[in-house]
Amino acid sequence: MSTNESAETIQEQIVALLPRLRRFARNLVRTPHDADDMVQIAVERALLRLDQWHSDARLDSWLFKILRNAWIDEVRSRGRRAKLFMPEEAGENVGEASMEREIDRLSVEAALARLPHDQRLAVSLVLVEGLAYKDAADVLDVPIGTLTSRLARGREALAAMLRPPQGDHS
Amino acid sequence: MSVSDETLMAYADGEVDAATRASIEAAMRDDPEIRRRIAEHRALRETVQGAFAAVLDEPVPQRLIDAARGHKAPPLGNVVDLARARRAAAGEAPGRRRSWQPVAMAASVLVGVALGYLGWHNSSPWVKTNSSGELVAGAGLAEALSNQLSEDRSPGRVAITGLSFRAKTGDYCRTFSSTGTPASSGLACREGDGWKIKVLAQSPNATSNSSNFRQAASADEPAVRTAVEESIDGEPLDRAGEVAARQGGWAAAPRR
Repeated sequence: MSTNESAETIQEQIVALLPRLRRFARNLVRTPHDADDMVQIAVERALLRLDQWHSDARLDSWLFKILRNAWIDEVRSRGRRAKLFMPEEAGENVGEASMEREIDRLSVEAALARLPHDQRLAVSLVLVEGLAYKDAADVLDVPIGTLTSRLARGREALAAMLRPPQGDHS
Repeated sequence: MSVSDETLMAYADGEVDAATRASIEAAMRDDPEIRRRIAEHRALRETVQGAFAAVLDEPVPQRLIDAARGHKAPPLGNVVDLARARRAAAGEAPGRRRSWQPVAMAASVLVGVALGYLGWHNSSPWVKTNSSGELVAGAGLAEALSNQLSEDRSPGRVAITGLSFRAKTGDYCRTFSSTGTPASSGLACREGDGWKIKVLAQSPNATSNSSNFRQAASADEPAVRTAVEESIDGEPLDRAGEVAARQGGWAAAPRR
């Protein structure tokens, strides 16, 4: 049947995207294992909703969006489950002042984990996953201007955290 | 020329239109500061990208490949095909098609295991078919779903109830898991005067030496979790919410 064939084709395309989905999930949750759990949940949801995917849309953006929504559901319900998920507060409590006081140079991963999650997702989608601004904005369900400003703030904060301590930039 | 940092960032990312690009490139020729800022944006992009590049080279866990192909990976539970379980519970021959695909064959074996374990017949404490042929909770499970609070850890329970919530349909739903081996779990929703089984999953490799572990795992079965997330309206019930719902006989709230 042609519909089954096309479903199988999409399934194989999803398999091919798994490495990128795993990478994106690493920026959402604390441990690689939890990230893979998120990917599994997202993939299972995607298969249930294949009829909602339009072949003119990018499959990767669509899957990132499902993954991101699954993660939001998890964050909302985290109070009733194990503390699997990266606390948003960890990022949001890091103000400008404490960033400037940061003495050790952080690893990129640790620095990214400290960003507020809105900025972290924007940076992850554009800089790591290489999505165009409009695609990243679509994944996050925000206007492109919002995406741009989150990305700019996230980058600025990252640059400040990653700057070598002997640097003379303020 | 003064250029906003967002514009320089967009230029570095290849996100500006031709006119903006031309004016920035003109400005770059005269202004080393602009060149430095653009180089910084590009360097940061490379640094961040490089930090996560290795993830792409990691082997992808088989369970994710299976999930993408629509197969259920055994370690995370097998979803029982409700239509088939219903036929089996009703004592019907399993299906009429002659040319099942290998996947369907494998699934039928799994269902068979589940049916064998749960003892699917109409006197089962677990599941049975009602007069409409729908899969519903058997007496023992229905008793637990109707009366047991999720925090109840008393020994001798037939089933462990996990979390309770109101679905978008207005119905009350509860997750449950068995106290036996192999462990199985699922989601049931109160419809009319019975508990309709929405999802049934089993974890062949899960040990249930400690029923507390099963309580923790009940809602974590991916198929059950997905079903909860798809249907939940708001937050799950706390203890007081469960008590109130129980007092009301778990009667559905008006549809929002």
